[in-house]
Amino acid sequence: MSPVAVDIPIHRDHARPAVRVVDDGRGTFGMVLFITTEATLFLMLFVAYYYTHTSGRWEHEQPPKLHYAIVMLIVLLTSSGVLHWGEKKVKQARRAAGRFALLGTILLGLGFLVLTFFEFRETLQHVTPTTDAYGSTFFTLVSLHAAHVVVGLSMLIWVLILPQWEPTRETPHRPYHNAAMYWHFVDTVWVFLVALLYIVPNIYNAV
Amino acid sequence: MSTAVQQRLLDLWESPKTLYGALATVDHKTIGKRYIITAMAFLIIGGIEALLIRLQLARPQQNLMGPEMYDQMFTMHGITMIFWYAQPVLSGLAVFIVPLMIGARDMAFPRFNAFTYWAYLFSGILLYASPFIGQSPNGGWFAYVPYTNLKYSPGYGMDFYNFCLILLTIATTGGAINFIVTILRLRAPGMAISKMPLFLYSTLTISFITIFALPALTAANIALELDRRFFTHFFDPAHGGNPLLWQQLFWFFGHPWVYIVFLPATGMISMIIPTFSRRPIVGYPYVAMSTVLTGVTGFGVWVHHMFAVGEGHLSMSFFSAASMTISIFTAVQVFAWLATMWKGRTVLTASMHFAVGFVALIIIGGLNGIVTAVIPVDWQLHDTYFVVSHLHYVLVGANMFPVFAGLYYWIPKMTGRLLDERLGKTSFWVIFIGLNLAFFPMQLLGIRGMPRRIYTYLPNLGWNSLNMIITVGAFILAIGILLTIINFFWSLRRGALAGKNPWNADTLEWSTDSPPQPYGSVHLPTVVTRHPLWDEHDEEEDPNGERILDEDRLTFSSTWLDAEVFALARMPEDTIVPLLLAIGFTALFGFLIFKLLWFALGALIYNLIVTGIWFWPKHESELA
Repeated sequence: MSPVAVDIPIHRDHARPAVRVVDDGRGTFGMVLFITTEATLFLMLFVAYYYTHTSGRWEHEQPPKLHYAIVMLIVLLTSSGVLHWGEKKVKQARRAAGRFALLGTILLGLGFLVLTFFEFRETLQHVTPTTDAYGSTFFTLVSLHAAHVVVGLSMLIWVLILPQWEPTRETPHRPYHNAAMYWHFVDTVWVFLVALLYIVPNIYNAV
Repeated sequence: MSTAVQQRLLDLWESPKTLYGALATVDHKTIGKRYIITAMAFLIIGGIEALLIRLQLARPQQNLMGPEMYDQMFTMHGITMIFWYAQPVLSGLAVFIVPLMIGARDMAFPRFNAFTYWAYLFSGILLYASPFIGQSPNGGWFAYVPYTNLKYSPGYGMDFYNFCLILLTIATTGGAINFIVTILRLRAPGMAISKMPLFLYSTLTISFITIFALPALTAANIALELDRRFFTHFFDPAHGGNPLLWQQLFWFFGHPWVYIVFLPATGMISMIIPTFSRRPIVGYPYVAMSTVLTGVTGFGVWVHHMFAVGEGHLSMSFFSAASMTISIFTAVQVFAWLATMWKGRTVLTASMHFAVGFVALIIIGGLNGIVTAVIPVDWQLHDTYFVVSHLHYVLVGANMFPVFAGLYYWIPKMTGRLLDERLGKTSFWVIFIGLNLAFFPMQLLGIRGMPRRIYTYLPNLGWNSLNMIITVGAFILAIGILLTIINFFWSLRRGALAGKNPWNADTLEWSTDSPPQPYGSVHLPTVVTRHPLWDEHDEEEDPNGERILDEDRLTFSSTWLDAEVFALARMPEDTIVPLLLAIGFTALFGFLIFKLLWFALGALIYNLIVTGIWFWPKHESELA
């Protein structure tokens, strides 16, 4: 969280802090805490899913189909990779490459939302949010994740249209970095969603 | 030179005294005072509701209000006091004090600070719009399903509950993030984590609790709202749901919330008692560690609210043991305070009266809490007035008393005027007597089997005289609070001038003017010991003016462990955008209450645009 490569003379008596670096890491710190609280929200809903599951009334339910979820997972992981590459480029002051990566990530994110639409259309034929508690928790989790994708996309689009990416010359990548952290978080949530809501029930069904 | 420097700092930091300046200010001192005033207004509103409840219960078979009205009244009393007074008043004190105490010029995110205040204010206003359409929340402050399902709670009451709480949660979580970053990043040079005032430990601990506990409430609110208005089945056992899910989620949030409203209060006491005992606190590291451990253990006790629902034996034993363990950490703090007074030379100011009164009350409240941690006893006392007694001893004793101690202690810093000591002590004794008169008989009533939340009772149950005593006690308590409010308004005009450090206290906020200048200190202070103002060290010794930082709105960023300066934090200017965003969020949740989804979508888009404008960076030429 300390700024990059700056020589900071600290005097041991703290009396003369001869520092002239601007601290731009507060936002990153805040974003880490925001992501923590958001992750806890998802954790609570996973708890709700498993807690109602233990009342054991869901056996009649078919586990959700895997094909869309896996494709969506690949789309999101790719987008994270692209964004990470872009962030590296921005740190090397290669802005055009960074902006290009950002555009790619946004398109992949939009693709994810389109796939979500098809995935919902298919799953809704078997179970709806009002069928039973399984449908309620499942669709709440998946929809909440989709809402987070929308928020993440808004952040990325905002970074894309920034006239310049830096409030200061020292750290050109900071807003890019913060938005990217949030995007990686959204992707990570999808990894857990696919594992716990899609793959595990299918394994149970198969065994 | 120095007046020129002060003028330059003033030009940088002072908000213009216009309507725009008042709405756009991001000064933590102004925002902190607004928090406190708003929270006190909610204390008065919730207090009036309490008095109406007590009038209804003073005698058997009263007709002041019917059962529907009574349900709304005790629910509004509970949520007003717990959510809109107890935590925000502590936030307000912390918003005012923390930056001064760490020698910074503002919070880490000043505009976000303004936003969280506005969101808090508007969530309260939105909540109090509900009585005007006659449909207030009526399911009790913990809103158990199935009472709160649409079937049993028709009308918009519980929708107000859900969405006002989500809005408040956004404000509270935002405030917590702000405190964490402020305390871990903006401390004065040299204020290593081992030298932080204890109030910062408690504020930091509850901020982390907030981050991890409040999402459970949000999840519960979302699920309840979906069940109510969108026909899902989270809590519906007929469709595979589980009503106990609400209780698990709510109390996973709810018990840590008790520590959120309790720990900053103990932090304040750990500041006030040493000052008025004229010595450093006994066992500083133990008090600091107990604070943190209370926060951690606080996540492992929530099931003790649910002993009566029939959990497994192992689970119940675990939570019973954890509930008794957590009292050890409180006991460590209590013994540290007592030892500090014992070894010191106490000065019994009004503030110290409230602090000592708090110690007495937390012992009573803590002890009758341990009683309910014993499961067989809990089964007997569950949902009786014994529990009402316990929670009021704890919340009034451990929140309101420290807050009043803190107000008598820090209001001179905020207004520059001392409150009247004699009136303050009178107020203390009236409150103390009224409180015990009101809440002690509740234990007896509980043992005699009077259930909570009944709107009236029959005359032949042996509850009559105790109920009358409780009502009288409640009014005496209210008069005591009124005396302090009178004291405050009196002091604004007539109070003696406070000067910089009226109590000869040890922490940095007392090195600033009373009231503090918009920029705090001219020379940002440095710290070498735990008690900066008691030691032979001039915090503001800065012959070359290197810690004035008058080029722009600046303060120091320091490392979280040793507080060594590594950068300068640039602070934002006044802006009205936080207010606009808070209005947008309020509109969003207001529309959602009435299920106006297209309007809500509009509000959401508005919020996204305003947020984009908020974070829009400035051109380098606009920066210093």
